[in-house]
Amino acid sequence: MKILHVYRSEPNDDVQKLVEIVSEGRETESFDLNVESPDYDKLVEMVWEADQTICWW
Amino acid sequence: MAKSIGIFVTSPQNMRHVMGVTKAAVAKGAKVKVFFTWTATHLTKCPNFIELCELDNVDVSICADSYKKVGYDVTDIPKGLDEKKMATQAQHGAIIEDYDCYMTL
Amino acid sequence: MSHKVCFMYPSENYILDGIRSALGLSVENMYSYGVVMYNELPELSDYDKENIEWMRDMEGEVYTMNEANVEKHGLPKITLEELGQKLREMDIIIPYGIMRSDKT
Repeated sequence: MKILHVYRSEPNDDVQKLVEIVSEGRETESFDLNVESPDYDKLVEMVWEADQTICWW
Repeated sequence: MAKSIGIFVTSPQNMRHVMGVTKAAVAKGAKVKVFFTWTATHLTKCPNFIELCELDNVDVSICADSYKKVGYDVTDIPKGLDEKKMATQAQHGAIIEDYDCYMTL
Repeated sequence: MSHKVCFMYPSENYILDGIRSALGLSVENMYSYGVVMYNELPELSDYDKENIEWMRDMEGEVYTMNEANVEKHGLPKITLEELGQKLREMDIIIPYGIMRSDKT
């Protein structure tokens, strides 16, 4: 199972812990939306390739 | 082949991401459904909301109950929508059931 | 197959409407759960209590990480660790609304 973690802001300690638990033993990728010009083309490709996308706050 | 994407919008802070993801997905040939709920229904007042609604292969709807609860008149339908798009949480269910990929923004 | 979905509510103003949204998926025949992460809930209206009861009737639940909601509202306690494990079972994970400003 491949999981994509998308971050809309800097993840706090609790989010980091949840990501760690959810990701354990699984293939994961991450994408940071919290930048001036996100590469949405790349994000869409990554969403398509993932089995599950989680968009954290 | 392009996979369809459903976007559940629950934050009023992410209109640029909604537009960015939707435009990128549509340009790649994907079908996109966007459903706005709770305070995200304020985004219907953004100047680019109409642009979102007018994109080909994009289905936009909002939670009418939320729109009312955040202070708008449900008979004042946002530009770009019609009465049928003033909908319920069943639209969120449709995103999960009928679309290949799911995002929350 | 019914989907399993979990909403997380870190911000006070998003909790009760987020529960309504979770109920919306229960009635779509999904296993729908909500988690109040930080806040102590105020006195609930009959409408809000009914929404939670209705979710339970359809095999869903609203959990709380804040102990105060256990006694005050009868919500089952969940720890951050337990929440993480629960999320591993979910098909859809919904970080709902905004992260509250004092938990950055």
